[in-house]
Amino acid sequence: MIHIENLHKTYRVDGREITALRDIDLHIGKGEVFGIIGRSGAGKSTLIRTLNLLERPSAGRIVIEGEDITRFDRAALYQLRQRIGMIFQHFNLLNAKTVAGNIDWPLKTTGRFSAAERAARVAEMLELVGLAEHGSKYPAQLSGGQKQRVGIARALANHPHLLLCDEATSALDPETTQAILRLLLDINRRLGLTIVLITHEMEVIRTICDRVAVIDAGRIVERGPVSEVFLHPKHPVTRSMVAQGDALTAALLDPAGLGDKVRGLPVRLTYLGDVTYQPILSHVAAISPARITILQGTVSTIKDQPYGQLLVEIDGTAEEVEAVFRAFDSFKIHHEVLQ
Amino acid sequence: MDLSVIDWGDIWQATWETLAMTGFSLLFTVLIGLPLGILLFVTSKNQLLEQRGLYAVLSFVVNVLRSVPFLILLIVMIPVTVLLIGTSLGVEGAIPPLVVGTAPFFARLVENVLREIDRGVIEACQAMGIRTHRIIFGALLPEALPGLIAATTVTAITLMSYAAMSGVIGGGGLGDLAIRFGYQRFQTEVMVITVAVLVVLVQLLQYSGDRLVLYFTRK
Repeated sequence: MIHIENLHKTYRVDGREITALRDIDLHIGKGEVFGIIGRSGAGKSTLIRTLNLLERPSAGRIVIEGEDITRFDRAALYQLRQRIGMIFQHFNLLNAKTVAGNIDWPLKTTGRFSAAERAARVAEMLELVGLAEHGSKYPAQLSGGQKQRVGIARALANHPHLLLCDEATSALDPETTQAILRLLLDINRRLGLTIVLITHEMEVIRTICDRVAVIDAGRIVERGPVSEVFLHPKHPVTRSMVAQGDALTAALLDPAGLGDKVRGLPVRLTYLGDVTYQPILSHVAAISPARITILQGTVSTIKDQPYGQLLVEIDGTAEEVEAVFRAFDSFKIHHEVLQ
Repeated sequence: MDLSVIDWGDIWQATWETLAMTGFSLLFTVLIGLPLGILLFVTSKNQLLEQRGLYAVLSFVVNVLRSVPFLILLIVMIPVTVLLIGTSLGVEGAIPPLVVGTAPFFARLVENVLREIDRGVIEACQAMGIRTHRIIFGALLPEALPGLIAATTVTAITLMSYAAMSGVIGGGGLGDLAIRFGYQRFQTEVMVITVAVLVVLVQLLQYSGDRLVLYFTRK
């Protein structure tokens, strides 16, 4: 769907060159929900804006559905943008138009649809985002979550194959964020729409993304399936992004805070899928007399896949501990001995 | 104060003349100032049609016109007005200097109103693949409508006071009446009445402007 090759972006600010993006190579598959996470100023916003050329790259290629968009002329660019939906952190709705007027606006300006076709499409979109009753209201009369639903309806009205989400939930409360993310995931599954989103919240990535790229100082520092990156973050920036706002995960990654309470061997266990709901520790206890104490733990989901993450202390002879590790391996539980 | 000396017919006619001067010059001010303001906005830095050279020239011309005190402009404009409409006197004679005096002012107001619109709204339109002229006329101007009405109200009131000033060079209307009777013939009553009428007109303008702004505000 999208191939980004060797992308660079530099700005000139007060005569000085500032590099916003360097050496970006990415491949995003059709129907995928792809997340780009980074701190503010890392370049994620610039990166997503190059996908519809709101930002012109300084070098490199961006191939979308087989076409190098960086070579497009003005007319082709207008066409391309009509096929790519985009939603924004602050919604960016037209306050002077009604909800229906906002959704109709991109359709009307293409001049390709009759008034009846447009009205039908607007009604369909309102239904899709659950705002069927609100078509004649103005954006100012809506809550933040409802405004973002209008943003989504407007972005999808023109049958795009690709939806770009620029910090789409960052201005919303946690509950509304979850509702919007569920809506995006539902749309992704029902319409087979490819979604590229940028965020600074790992929670967003964990909830809906299939794959993630971590960007720092204009460079992609880590990438992979979300479960892999989330459970086994390697780069320091990734580790801090995973740990942020979640004391439990932070402690799981860095058990130093537990101090001298740990007498045995501290081990981090991670596992994914059905094994999450099986009585593994009971099995292990039956195999080895080593004593296992749970120090910290989370059991949750990555997208819809269950996972578990435990920090345990294993107390026993080397042989006993070895037996425990073998048992973990046989259940496909990843273990990592911590210092 | 002896109101019996007042010729109410004169007052009535002068009021109409003032309204006509204000109305016609407002029309031309908007016709010239609105496109000029839009042009100033879209050609300015980081905007839709950034053109630094053009912006610098327009901006300079606007500033020059705005730095000439209106009383001076009235006099400077006399030959131009005569050339344009054959006379520099009366209601018609006052309109060209009024327009030249206020159009740049109105253009600046328009530019500022457009600048107040959230940058994100323009970006959203660009991301949808909407052509620049559609963004300007279909999105920006409707979004700016309340602000544009407020700017028009301010301009109309400025025009009314300028129109009164044009009485100095024989411009007609309430200002002319005030100068000829109130000032030169010491008829204080005429002065008081003309000022009172102007106060009432300005209040009416401001009130209707505010109501319109309210009506079109969707925030």
